[in-house]
Amino acid sequence: MPQTPPPTIVPHGMIKTGARVFLVPGWVLAIAILLKGYADIGDGFAAGVIAAVIVILQGIAFGAEELEHIRVARFAPVMCFIGLALAYAVAFVPTFFGYSILTHFPRMNEHAAHFGPLEFITPVLFDIAVFLVVYGFCVGAVMTVARAELRHKRLLQRARKRGGNR
Amino acid sequence: MNTAILLLIVAIAAPFLALASGAIHPRLVPHVSLVATAAAAVVTIWSFWQPDSTYSTTWISVYDLNFYFTLDGLARLYALLATGIGFLVVAYASRYLPLHLHHQHRPESDQTRFYFFLLLFMAAMVGLVMAQDLILIFLFWDLTAIASFFLIGYDQQEEESRGAAMMALMVTGITAVLVLIGAMLLHREYGTWSLPEIIAHGDLVGMTKWGLLLIAIGALAKSAQVPMHFWLPRAMAAPTPVSAYLHSAAMVAAGVFLIGRFYPLMQQVDWLLDLFLFIGFASMLVGGIIALTRNVLKHILAYSTISQYGYVVFMFGMGGEYGIKGASFYVLAHAIVKSALFLTAGAVSEATGKKNLADIGGLGRKMPWLAAGSGMAASGLVALPLTIGFFKDELFFARATELGQPYILMDVLGASLTFAYIFRFWTHLFLGREITSPAPISRWLVWPVVVLGIITVVGGIWPEPFTSVASSAASISANKVADIHVHYTFDPIPENLMAIATWVCGLTIYWTRKRWWRAATGVAHLGERVGPAHWYYRGLWGLNALSDRVHDIEVRDLRSRVVSILVPAGALVAIAVLVTPNSNSFEIGAFGQHDFALIIMIVAAVVSGFVVMLLRDHLRLAIGLSCVGYSLAGVYAFMGAPNVTLVAIVVETMTSLFLIGMLVLMPSSILRFETQAKVDKRTMPRDAIIATVAGLLVFFVSWGALSRTSLNTEVIDSQTALTEAVHAKNVVTAILADFRGFDTMGEITVIAITSIGVISLLRSGRLR
Repeated sequence: MPQTPPPTIVPHGMIKTGARVFLVPGWVLAIAILLKGYADIGDGFAAGVIAAVIVILQGIAFGAEELEHIRVARFAPVMCFIGLALAYAVAFVPTFFGYSILTHFPRMNEHAAHFGPLEFITPVLFDIAVFLVVYGFCVGAVMTVARAELRHKRLLQRARKRGGNR
Repeated sequence: MNTAILLLIVAIAAPFLALASGAIHPRLVPHVSLVATAAAAVVTIWSFWQPDSTYSTTWISVYDLNFYFTLDGLARLYALLATGIGFLVVAYASRYLPLHLHHQHRPESDQTRFYFFLLLFMAAMVGLVMAQDLILIFLFWDLTAIASFFLIGYDQQEEESRGAAMMALMVTGITAVLVLIGAMLLHREYGTWSLPEIIAHGDLVGMTKWGLLLIAIGALAKSAQVPMHFWLPRAMAAPTPVSAYLHSAAMVAAGVFLIGRFYPLMQQVDWLLDLFLFIGFASMLVGGIIALTRNVLKHILAYSTISQYGYVVFMFGMGGEYGIKGASFYVLAHAIVKSALFLTAGAVSEATGKKNLADIGGLGRKMPWLAAGSGMAASGLVALPLTIGFFKDELFFARATELGQPYILMDVLGASLTFAYIFRFWTHLFLGREITSPAPISRWLVWPVVVLGIITVVGGIWPEPFTSVASSAASISANKVADIHVHYTFDPIPENLMAIATWVCGLTIYWTRKRWWRAATGVAHLGERVGPAHWYYRGLWGLNALSDRVHDIEVRDLRSRVVSILVPAGALVAIAVLVTPNSNSFEIGAFGQHDFALIIMIVAAVVSGFVVMLLRDHLRLAIGLSCVGYSLAGVYAFMGAPNVTLVAIVVETMTSLFLIGMLVLMPSSILRFETQAKVDKRTMPRDAIIATVAGLLVFFVSWGALSRTSLNTEVIDSQTALTEAVHAKNVVTAILADFRGFDTMGEITVIAITSIGVISLLRSGRLR
């Protein structure tokens, strides 16, 4: 006998509106926390989780299928590994030039170019890598759960249809 | 351009070119691989007319590591084997592999993996033989083990191949760690990773001898020497080109290469030379006797390789000018003839569909070219005149004559065994009555054997080019000029008499085989029952059983899994609390007015904690737990740690979402059952005691840690002071990305690995 499908929770209109309204500002906030991290509170880790929460909010408000339409959500697992590769590049490339692992540039007390609060230094690149890994992991894992849930729902619907046909 | 770097670039580019061509079309791979190995072989041969070249550049200056390569005589010899025989093997594989894949109903695209790892092995060998930095030597050494693992296990659908690959990796991989430890001991004594600098130092100091012993053990395991020989016959599960390449010219040769490279140091340790003598002779004997009793073609050749590399190790043990020269010349001669014999075994099996000597015979009439080519190679291995092999034994005997009668007897015994099993191998294959009619095979499976056979004879008639190659290699091992001069003489000199004695004894052993067959087979069986292979399997099974037992206990149910993590962790923390001096811990500080907000948040956290204990419904539980987390985030905020607060809030949000997501995935019937299940009153007192003990432990640990007033703030102060210098205004971010960046890298690696785990488990439906 087919299982009863779990009750579908229909999100309130306010959640939907809020999710859409906060999407862009939320990402701006996350990127600001990421890029300003070296000069202010925040870092790649926090920025990654905030960006992930904003994207996941879309899934909560509009359903898991919505995440498939958001490009930054669809490629989240790939972003996780791009981040890891970037972190390894920042860590190991200096070794090919005679420096130890994770030597950052410009070196200590050397002049660093900057654009507003954003500094052009390799620790920022490393922080971006952390951002990508954390974001990729959070969104990737939630999307995988959501996909599993969708698959489960489809299986139940199919089973119900078969039961009805009989 | 620097020859060493040119060769390295060509060799390293080869596997990646194979991979790239495979991505375009699988049929391109053999052609591209052939051209790439040909290019590497041409550069190697061209290098013989060039002076020694060295390339060195700083790699990691703080650890004194350098990309330090030298293309010297020893490197040229082994690079020639890796690239030259590599070229012939790739040519052979271009016809052999499609047939092999066809027999196994595998797609053509599987070729790419084969050529990639074969050429990666070649590149690793080229890198290894030129490397002069101890860490580089280790890295290339390990790379050969990894490449060989994938090559031996190429037929991954067959259990035998997988087991053989694992065995080879275990034996050569574990002993590779000994090589690394040996290298570190040398670095500790001499303060440099540069091998030429260590050799130039001259004297052996401190722990050097033990370092050399560890390196020698790694080398002997790689060369499949007794008692670490058992992996080689099993590795014959690999396709024939792999056997021909790895187990005649490359992988096993890497072991004696390493001895040759460190020999200027090793020859100063008498007991190490005695060890070489003992292990070399044991390998000659064990390999020779078992080769006589085997019937599977590749097994005969595998045991023959163990025996032949036993000769080389024995010669290093005998030392002296002839010993070192003989060892270098022997490696060259053996690689040529043994590759030809391995390729012969593959061609014969392909033509007849048989692998057993008893099922094959009289092929000479229908496969004359193969018979002639392998006949020349076999003559070389049994050291008949007019072959390169004659001179390899001549040098071997010359050194034994210098050392005295026991050595003469050992040499003749070893060489006689070689004569007997190779005579049996070749005559059974090509002479006598035909047992299985051979099917026509591609010429590409025959001509590499013929070429190698011709080289064997050319080396016997015109040995100078070969002796020149071996001389320059021997000069490096001897650390002085060592010219090899060989020629024929009809005088009754001891070497000639020993050669004649070898042939006579070899033939006698062969003709009288019915008398000793049972005894030899008994020795082989005894070795299988109580030998090292038996202990390897017992050790492996024991470890497996232990692992299964621990695994079973851990995964029996959720509680046992949680207990297996929390109980040891809790015990360790409890021990840490007990042994840590706590004179100024567990103090209650003063409460001020400004602490009021902080206390409210702590009370909120405590209340949330108590509420969680009382809840049964899963969704409310998840929300209750997140309340605890948010309250703690508030505590951090009032303690003046905005960075930690931000992270705590976002992580708590994420965790709550995950928890709720997981609850949605769970079948509602199970959740309902869990919620409505009655509490077992019998277990309540026990659970209450466990919870109270655990809670008290955590309480005291937290209190002790937080009330400790004499914190060592030296590190914190220095990092805060350095924050501006590293272009940061936020010390937390500077710590995460800079001061403790390596920790962060480890953590994000764990996150990425976890990501793979979560995604693969959920995608394959194992969690649903």
